[in-house]
Amino acid sequence: MKLDGHISQRFNQDLEDIRTQLLEMGGLVSSQITQAMEALETGDSALGESVEALDKEVNRLEVETDDLCTKILVKRQPAASDLRMVLAVSRIVRDLERMGDEATKIAQMGIRLAEEGASPIGYAECRSIAAGVQAMIANALDGFARYDSNVARDTIEMDQKVDEDYASALRSLMTYMMEDPRSIKRVMNIMWTLRSLERIGDHTTNICEQVIYLVDGVDERHSFS
Amino acid sequence: MTNEYTTVGRPSSINPKITADSVSVYYGDKQAIQDVSLDIGANEVIAFIGPSGCGKSTFLRTINRMNDTIDICSVKGKMSLDGVNIYDPNVDPVELRARVGMVFQKPNPFPKSIYDNVAYGARIHGLADNRIELDEMVEKSLRSAGLWEEVKDRLHSPGIGLSGGQQQRLCIARTIAVNPEVILMDEPCSALDPIATAKIEELIAELSSNYTIVVVTHSMQQAARISNRTAYFHLGKLIEVDDTNTVFTSPGHKLTEDYITGRFG
Ligand SMILES: Nc1ncnc2c1ncn2[C@@H]1O[C@H](COP(=O)(O)OP(=O)(O)O)[C@@H](O)[C@H]1O
Ligand SMILES: [Mg+2]
Repeated sequence: MKLDGHISQRFNQDLEDIRTQLLEMGGLVSSQITQAMEALETGDSALGESVEALDKEVNRLEVETDDLCTKILVKRQPAASDLRMVLAVSRIVRDLERMGDEATKIAQMGIRLAEEGASPIGYAECRSIAAGVQAMIANALDGFARYDSNVARDTIEMDQKVDEDYASALRSLMTYMMEDPRSIKRVMNIMWTLRSLERIGDHTTNICEQVIYLVDGVDERHSFS
Repeated sequence: MTNEYTTVGRPSSINPKITADSVSVYYGDKQAIQDVSLDIGANEVIAFIGPSGCGKSTFLRTINRMNDTIDICSVKGKMSLDGVNIYDPNVDPVELRARVGMVFQKPNPFPKSIYDNVAYGARIHGLADNRIELDEMVEKSLRSAGLWEEVKDRLHSPGIGLSGGQQQRLCIARTIAVNPEVILMDEPCSALDPIATAKIEELIAELSSNYTIVVVTHSMQQAARISNRTAYFHLGKLIEVDDTNTVFTSPGHKLTEDYITGRFG
């Protein structure tokens, strides 16, 4: 896999641009999650605002990158690895944008939980699942940057652990709610947070499938589950 | 050129109409096609692509022995049509070319009327017994070539008075008038504007239900639009042939990839 070597220099540059913008977006989404988790732990509303500011930037990059992908399709009619690059980037930025939305929800939930008064039930589970999805994101972006489909495949495997942790966290929170019905509203908020994290893991799996498509030229969507 | 190579992809077909078996073509002692083995399936549309001078036209012309007309040209290997080697001494090249028709890059209607252009082949091959049969055959061929509605009121005006795209469809009508089984087309749209090109491409899709079609094209987008399989030639070798979708999304050979992505070879 390589992006350069085209007779058209401009084409080399366009492909490099979408690739760089994707990696930039990935970095932003990852900071959004880190800050959202911090907002959850500390209830710091300034962090919440920062996550939303990053989300605007992520949204802008999605539109810009997808627009550039469209232009490349129209102007260059790319084929083979170039075509796969454009399609993969266009799909991946959509998942990244959704991940940003989930991070924003987590931050908002964190602020609300802090306003309602502290009782850090379920935080440990959130923290551990967040660490799992952050590792997945780092790997997925690494696999993309280095065109390594094996890294992408390993990352998809990691999602199983996230799903299991999510299921077991839900079970213990359910038990907690049954024992103390006054906690239901609060625990529900924690459950929504866990759900967002689990969704982020799913989006990261989609990204990995696109990395495999990009590198190996095979469509493995829906073959892992 | 003695180095051996293997064609990447899917050169065989479950229902071959044409089979090339280690075909090599020489112009004098210069080798233009090296050891090409390829099946072309019945009712398949196959596109030949590759850089200029890689041998696409040369190989295409071996399929109806058009190379016979070039003195210094010699062909080695076996080229079969329905399992019969067309280079067998018993095969009559004129009959062969009725079964395997050809459409050229530049439309080349005869300096005759539209009607006579289409009737010509049928007349020399004795395919029509009388005027009524001939009229029917001319109409049927012009309809198949998508030209009937445009010319039915001026069948006896000269063919060269038509637009470029119409002339090319007239040549296609002339080719199908003799009931061929295979149609070879060598860059049939390269002299045409985009609308005339779209009409020919449309026509190729329609004709493919009745004929086996081989198209040489310098337009990769055209190959992607019209063909079931695409064959990539490079310096006289058949580098890769596979389902068109595969060739344009995940080619198996680096040379193919470099060519279709517009990279330096
Ligand atoms: N009539 C001819 N006499 C001598 N050499 C020829 C003749 N026709 C083609 N060639 C040579 O054979 C090679 C393949 O040509 P051709 O089949 O026309 O390629 P393509 O159609 O892919 O552009 C070229 O090197 C060309 O110069
Ligand atoms: Mg040619």
